[in-house]
Amino acid sequence: MVVTDSDETSDEGEWKRVLWRPQPFPDNYVPPTFLAALSKNPNVLPYRYWPLVLGACTISQHLSIVFVFLAVFTRLLDHTLDPRLLVVLSSVTFVAGCIIWESIEYFGSNVGRRTPSDRRAYTVKASLLIFLVLIALAPILRTLTAPTSADSIWAVATALFLVHAALADYSYAASPIRRERLTSVLSINAAISAAVVLASRLHDDLSVFALMLFSVEAFALFPVFRRRIQSMPALVQSLVTTLLGLAALAAPLPTLCAAVLTSVTFGAPAVLMWAQQYKHEIRGPWDAATPRGLSGEHVAEFL
Amino acid sequence: MENNKDPSSLSIAMISDFFHPEVGGVENHIYMLGASLIRRGHKVIVITHSHPPDRVGVRWLIPGLKVYHIPFPTLVSSATLPNFFTFLPYLRTIVLRERITIIHSHASLSSLGHEGVLHPHLLGVRTVFTDHSLFGFADAASILTNKLLEGMLRNVDAAICVSYIGRENTVLRSNLPPKSVYVIPNAIIADHFRPAVSNPPKDMITIIVISRLAYRKGVDLLVATAPRICAAFPNVRFVVGGDGPKMVDLLQMREAHFLQDRITLLGPVAHRDVPSILQQGSIFLNTSLTEAFGIAILEAACAGLYVVSTRVGGVPEVLPEDLISFTPPTVDDVFQAMSEAIAHIKQGEHDPHRAHERIRGFYDWARVAERTEVVYRDVLRTPPYPLWTRIQRTMGLGPFVGPIYTMILIVDCLFFALLELWMPRENIDQVEVKWDATRFETVTGQGRT
Repeated sequence: MVVTDSDETSDEGEWKRVLWRPQPFPDNYVPPTFLAALSKNPNVLPYRYWPLVLGACTISQHLSIVFVFLAVFTRLLDHTLDPRLLVVLSSVTFVAGCIIWESIEYFGSNVGRRTPSDRRAYTVKASLLIFLVLIALAPILRTLTAPTSADSIWAVATALFLVHAALADYSYAASPIRRERLTSVLSINAAISAAVVLASRLHDDLSVFALMLFSVEAFALFPVFRRRIQSMPALVQSLVTTLLGLAALAAPLPTLCAAVLTSVTFGAPAVLMWAQQYKHEIRGPWDAATPRGLSGEHVAEFL
Repeated sequence: MENNKDPSSLSIAMISDFFHPEVGGVENHIYMLGASLIRRGHKVIVITHSHPPDRVGVRWLIPGLKVYHIPFPTLVSSATLPNFFTFLPYLRTIVLRERITIIHSHASLSSLGHEGVLHPHLLGVRTVFTDHSLFGFADAASILTNKLLEGMLRNVDAAICVSYIGRENTVLRSNLPPKSVYVIPNAIIADHFRPAVSNPPKDMITIIVISRLAYRKGVDLLVATAPRICAAFPNVRFVVGGDGPKMVDLLQMREAHFLQDRITLLGPVAHRDVPSILQQGSIFLNTSLTEAFGIAILEAACAGLYVVSTRVGGVPEVLPEDLISFTPPTVDDVFQAMSEAIAHIKQGEHDPHRAHERIRGFYDWARVAERTEVVYRDVLRTPPYPLWTRIQRTMGLGPFVGPIYTMILIVDCLFFALLELWMPRENIDQVEVKWDATRFETVTGQGRT
């Protein structure tokens, strides 16, 4: 060997974390620095309760809508609600929703997200079309499941509503480019199917039409609207949630509805807070590094 | 020649899904370790799965390494289906035939290797396991494979890791006592990686990248930095060897920046061609995001290249600081480090032949075999766990996994008892021929100096 580097001859008796030099220790020697680079829960942000509750409001709103829909259905079924009134109410809320949407866009700060005027014309056309198609379909829908027993219908509707609630897209729409996920499409489909099977239990065409119109509004249009108010101040969100929650109490079994909504809004965040103590995340130099500084950051940062 | 002429000679079975004719780090490691142990006078066999149609049955590899190919179908990337029991009849026969005393399993994703650790206590054979890779703890795949590994390593007598970081990772994943985990690095054959006879020209600097072109190898960093380096240094060119899913990104980058004459993409490279590719260059760039040992870095440094690497995993342990320069995995830092490395080469501060002579003394397979033998002797000196201790240790895995693994353990014992009745030991032929490595070396003139 011609090498006489000071690096390789000095401090021979000391353990160093290198493989290229023979060490004066057995291979299973446990150095004092063993696992020194280990860090536990390094990038865990402890949750705070009220922001979590605000996040859970999205789910409560969604469930409230299902309960409100059930309330409307039971009233139509026992003729305590005039279907004509429901049609008028649905139309009024639709127009009101459109006005609120437009005013949010008009007064809102984010100018880039404004709807172009040809989209508006398209929306009007589409809503008229849906209106007419539902009128035309009402007689067919009314007799759709006539040979099926009512028990099966309740079971199917329950299952579909559970699917609807489980697959709905509760994510926060912070990014301007929204990609519709398959699950959220499935969720809307499940809810509309549930509405169809429930509507087939009603007694007259007008009731069927009114319920379908309401279901399209509640399950297809409201989630879009809900995503928009998610970016609004906490006060607006909690107000909307409270109103919807109170409306949900009109559903059959109001105590159950109230219990579900309360536990989702206030209980679930508390459970999540409590479960935080069991968080055990291990990080260390063996983890794959994340490359940084790439143009456009086309590599996802999954931390 | 009769068996056991040397009482200190061991009979070792290496078990892994990953072996020749596949190519790769683990495959090469098993072969080189086996060959070096044979040179030390031990008997070594390898058990792996078969590669139909031609790699089946029993094969011999130079220098006297006997390979048993078990007829198991492969699932993905040369790994067999994990099933816990089907290997036992083969293993029992082979162990009895070959009078195996130590079983050495390799690679934590090899189910054959897992079974190779599960069964041997029935035959009174001791087990050693070598872990070659690093795993995280956060994703679902890691959580599952870590549990499998933990379940398996409850039965192992000692484990070997290829770097200190690998050891910390294995201890965390498998809850082994650190004292039973050894660190024995990989090695290279320095003669295969010699620098070019004449030093590479200083006016045209060639940067070599040899890697699988995958996300984990940090190809995105290469794609982002290569155009910047080419723009900043007109007399620099790239030679990239390897293939993989990120090849498309490299091709697109080359096209977008009109660098066809500056960046050469070689595509898939056979391991035997690596030395000649390395000899063309003066700087080796490694942008890996995770690396247990980084044998490619060592090979490049041995071939006299100045190495620039991301500071990840076991890379900082492999080479002394003056032969390698480290960078955080960001585009700006990689560019900065490359600029410094190019300046370093231009000033002629890096002597490839001197670097080669230094590294020649660092890593050696004969020393790896010697250190591995120490592990075998340590294991043979300790008493084996009795069955009841094994059951208790296995139950300690957890409220769900513990009982499942204990059931597997007990069913395995019953299966073994059945095999003892069905295929009695007396009826199994014993292999009487023992390979004489010294005689082989005298005949072929390859005596060890």
